[in-house]
Amino acid sequence: MTSTTPIGIDEFQAAARAWMEENLPRRAEGDTEVRKPWDIKDVPAEEFAAQRALQKAMYEAGFAGITWPEEYGGQGLSAEHQRAFDEVAIGFRQPDLGTLGGTTFHVCAPTMLAHGSPEFLRAHVPRILAGDELVAQFFSDPDAGSDLAGVRTQAVRDGDRWILNGSKIWSSGAYNADIGMCLARTNWDVPKHRGLTWFAVPVRSRGVTMERIRQINGNEEFCQEFFDDVELTDADVIGTVNDGWTVTQTMLLFERGGGGMRPATPTVGMKPDVVALMDAVGGWGDPAARDAAARVHVDDLVRAALGTRIVAAMRTDPMRAASYASYGKLASGVYDPLRANHMMRIAGESAIAWSDPDSPGAATALALLNSRFMAIAGGTVQMQRNTIGEKVLGLPREPSFDSGKPFRDVVRDAANWSGKVS
Amino acid sequence: MTAPVGLVSELTDEQEMLVDASVRFMDATLPVAAIRAVADGARRDDTGYRAAAGELGWFGFLGAEPAGGGSVSGKGVVDAAVIAAELGARLQPGPYAGHSVVVDALTRAGEPAHEPVLADLVSGAAWATWAFGDDTSVVLGVSRDGVRLDGRVVLAAEVASCSHLLLGASGPDGFTQVLVPLDAPGVTLRPLESLDVSRRWGAVDLTGVTLPVEAVVGAPGAATAAQLLRQVHLAAVLVAADAVGAMHADFETALQYAKDRIAFGRPIGSFQALKHVIADVSLSVEMAKGIVAEAARALGDDAPDAPELVHAAKSFVGEHSVDVMHQCFQVFGGIGFTWEHDQHLYLRRMSADAAMFGAPHWHREQLVATVEAVR
Repeated sequence: MTSTTPIGIDEFQAAARAWMEENLPRRAEGDTEVRKPWDIKDVPAEEFAAQRALQKAMYEAGFAGITWPEEYGGQGLSAEHQRAFDEVAIGFRQPDLGTLGGTTFHVCAPTMLAHGSPEFLRAHVPRILAGDELVAQFFSDPDAGSDLAGVRTQAVRDGDRWILNGSKIWSSGAYNADIGMCLARTNWDVPKHRGLTWFAVPVRSRGVTMERIRQINGNEEFCQEFFDDVELTDADVIGTVNDGWTVTQTMLLFERGGGGMRPATPTVGMKPDVVALMDAVGGWGDPAARDAAARVHVDDLVRAALGTRIVAAMRTDPMRAASYASYGKLASGVYDPLRANHMMRIAGESAIAWSDPDSPGAATALALLNSRFMAIAGGTVQMQRNTIGEKVLGLPREPSFDSGKPFRDVVRDAANWSGKVS
Repeated sequence: MTAPVGLVSELTDEQEMLVDASVRFMDATLPVAAIRAVADGARRDDTGYRAAAGELGWFGFLGAEPAGGGSVSGKGVVDAAVIAAELGARLQPGPYAGHSVVVDALTRAGEPAHEPVLADLVSGAAWATWAFGDDTSVVLGVSRDGVRLDGRVVLAAEVASCSHLLLGASGPDGFTQVLVPLDAPGVTLRPLESLDVSRRWGAVDLTGVTLPVEAVVGAPGAATAAQLLRQVHLAAVLVAADAVGAMHADFETALQYAKDRIAFGRPIGSFQALKHVIADVSLSVEMAKGIVAEAARALGDDAPDAPELVHAAKSFVGEHSVDVMHQCFQVFGGIGFTWEHDQHLYLRRMSADAAMFGAPHWHREQLVATVEAVR
């Protein structure tokens, strides 16, 4: 606690507005567009540098990390200050660091604040807020996707150092990151959830190789990293050694928190992509196209209504908020592909070949390629069904074959799988 | 007492009391055992049930206060939808959706000639039912003595339990709605066998039915056509709410069964093959509750997006309730094929709800037409 009286809400909001008017471009009326994670396009390096500079200016003006502790470079203010800031911020284009900005400020840094040592936080958080240290998630292994705790990337103690070997994949925007928040196995002789530790890995360390992954939609947003004897120290450990699963739980909470659910705002008419496609193919006169468009619109409206319902459920039952969020994730995973299929049926041949890459047919084809993103990324729909079945509906758990024995044996036994449980 | 459906996530205190009292009343007065007895041929007398339900306020949410009506939350459509969902979950008989549409229509028309009937409908002294849509197989003629009706209404829910039927007819001034007393000379009720055994279904033949001109509701032509649109929306929301209640109850029963039934040394709900089906079913149930609640709210507020939400609700619930029913049936396995298990009662109820007051594809076409009209 500092002895100074915190700034009043109104005064803070006025200062924020003044700063934004001076430094940030206004958003156009009705510009509430939110980019989907698969829509991220490469930002040219000089533009990204400019956005970093804007983040730094915001930090220096005292508007970064509004609710974060002062000793770590935050403003130490209340949630009401944050709300007052957000009210104003919606009218301006904020510093845009792409998916990496979201990962840094909404997932990794809050997890660090919950578990990092004071020394770690003093070393990193002010640099993060200043835009000097952007953080990617080094989370999934190539060998462990939905089975998050099954990672085999390992850090081995060597005197007062840790030696990191292995590989991470699906790290969004990591090509712009300065550090990677990396989950590694530090003990193979205990069950899988108990031998994990989080590290902050400087991306430009010796032994780190990064490759960008060419995706089916033409983007290269995701990266894969390879670690060959990367040297780390105890100062790079986030949280407690071998208690990484606790940190992971926190991270998943921030990652899924709300699941991107927003209450529905009333709008009249079909979404612009449906209207554009129906116009382009003359679908309004075709009963089959009309029915497909109606199905898309019905599902769009119902999904918005589900969002409203989930937000309300989270409010009345915050203890189960993360489990409720699984409904939003499952709905995306199930209905995004259905939507893409309906749109493809409407589009017909116009989604097979085109002369104009901005045509509705081309957009429909791209949407098909992107449609299984939410069914797979961040936990497959099967994982969401398990969560809903077990955590929300109280169904009995699957038998577990790997939670009771040393992870070393898990890998060996799985390779000799017979289906018999001894 | 079985738990309420939870159609609306955040009820007002008054709504909470209403639901609590209503659910207790249904469970005490007409539990599923009593519904089954009627399905097996026991005599049904609705008089006491109807009057007690009227006391609880069920029939007045869309009525005016001078007629004894009134909403408990200030949003009559939401109140009615919340009750409709509990009725569906408990397979209650009665023409609730159609009855509510008639109360709403007579209240909006505000004609003195209909006040006595309206008061009876609101108090629960009588029930009315509603003939869906603008089916003009009924022809209306005007004579010196009043109006004359000839034709037939092919399907009306619970018409044998009702005192009045609100129907549409083609008349000299265009589309006309008439409140027909079902005891009028020339009215013949034909009971029908039906898939749904929790409600009775019938057809109505009208042969030279002569009524005073005051039996006409509202001004024939464009004004009545506009009212009809409102009636279709209201009926769709309420019958969708009924189906959501049935979905909820069927799902909860299947969920419990998946926890209790043992096979291969495990509760069957621990198998992902069933766990995943059940999770998908629960998603459908949540989505159905969400869209019906939104549609009821929007219709109650006369919001610009209300027609779209209503058509989406009826179409989504119509398709997904039947799908949910199939999935739950599969969870039950062989026991679901026995008469003594309740699942077939829900199967029947949901299938009827899906088809009545506009099948899913009909509402989808209305949805596209609505969207086109505002482009």
